[in-house]
Amino acid sequence: MWRWLAEAMAVAAKDLRTEFRTRVAINSLGLFALTVLAAVSYTVGPYRIAAEDRPFLLAVLLWIVIFFAALAGLDRSFVKEEESHTAPLLRLAASPSAVWFGKLVFNLLVIYMLMAILVPLYCILMGYTIVMVWEFVLILALGGYALAVITTIVAAIIARALTRGALFSVLSLPLLLPLMIFLIQGTAGVAEGMPEVVSSTVRAVLSMGGIMTIVSAALFPVVWSD
Amino acid sequence: MADGIRVSFSDVAKRYDLRVVFRSVSGEAVPGKVLVITGPNGSGKSTLLSILCGLLRPTRGEITYHEDGHVVERDAWRRHLGVVAPAMAVYEELDAMENLCFFARVRGMGPAEDRCRECLELVGLDPDRRTPVRGYSTGMAQRLKIAQALLHDPALLFLDEPGSNLDPAGKDWLENYVGGLEEAGKTVVLATNDRREMEWGVRHVALAG
Repeated sequence: MWRWLAEAMAVAAKDLRTEFRTRVAINSLGLFALTVLAAVSYTVGPYRIAAEDRPFLLAVLLWIVIFFAALAGLDRSFVKEEESHTAPLLRLAASPSAVWFGKLVFNLLVIYMLMAILVPLYCILMGYTIVMVWEFVLILALGGYALAVITTIVAAIIARALTRGALFSVLSLPLLLPLMIFLIQGTAGVAEGMPEVVSSTVRAVLSMGGIMTIVSAALFPVVWSD
Repeated sequence: MADGIRVSFSDVAKRYDLRVVFRSVSGEAVPGKVLVITGPNGSGKSTLLSILCGLLRPTRGEITYHEDGHVVERDAWRRHLGVVAPAMAVYEELDAMENLCFFARVRGMGPAEDRCRECLELVGLDPDRRTPVRGYSTGMAQRLKIAQALLHDPALLFLDEPGSNLDPAGKDWLENYVGGLEEAGKTVVLATNDRREMEWGVRHVALAG
């Protein structure tokens, strides 16, 4: 178990090291997120939405920015392995499960880094007041995890396809849409202070993340090896 | 790492949709011998090597690894083999030592810095050079790929045009090293069109093209 974990962490550390040297995924995600945030805050701003609509509409905008920023860069970890012809040696050296978990950890860290910068900025620029702060952090953490699990397995599936750029969004969106709806409801719930909405969101997102983790772990060796 | 892997393959065929790469190839690679695969460009030498090392599945045919008379499961093949091939690259954002330490870690050897250093010195690269592989010449990158293949002291080596881009001194070193592998009882499968490299083995599989 520890050996497997060390192998997976080696994959994640290698991806982080190469990403910080090239900054392809981080730049894609970061620029997309900051551009949309600037556009939204400039055109909509904190006061153009009626007070009763603010919790819900601002939750919609927040998750649109996070999801589409994720779609702009989270396929890179697998696509880059194929484009730079490093995937065959990785296939021969590492166990498929260690590669999957390592890539998942990398995508998770990238999403959490994005959220750590984007969400406070968004709340300040849009004047988004959150009543249940810790529950909001929990929803962000669980949502980020489910987003990472889904984008990791879809990136692995599309990495060997010729039209991978378009395929990543096309295949991800049907899986991400239900998650996005739950997360929007939960975020509106924490903004308004509605514990029952928050708890049902946490259960739903936990279930989705859990199911996708099991499905991805089972599916990945086939996707990666054949 | 146990020595003595025998690789047998019989009636192996590969086809991509309507394009037939090869129809029926059979042979055997045994410990202490170099099996040479030859054939004109496009005859499927690299494809056959990819099939033999488990990266591709054949359209038809059977490949079996034997160790001490026992069949090795396909999932365990990767532990026994090292591969050098033009289509397989190392990470160009990392330096040579970082590359080898990464491959050592994912192979479950830990960072194994001493072994990484030893392999780099063996192929004539400086372990203390901190230049990313992107800045290497093609010959230096080839030396690094060879070091990566030798890192875990595999019993079975697949070499696809291993001397390409090497300077004359590098080719001499490689020839001597492969000779030493034979004496050490390692199994070597070599795909090449280089006349000098063809002479390294007495067993040949010729693909028609």
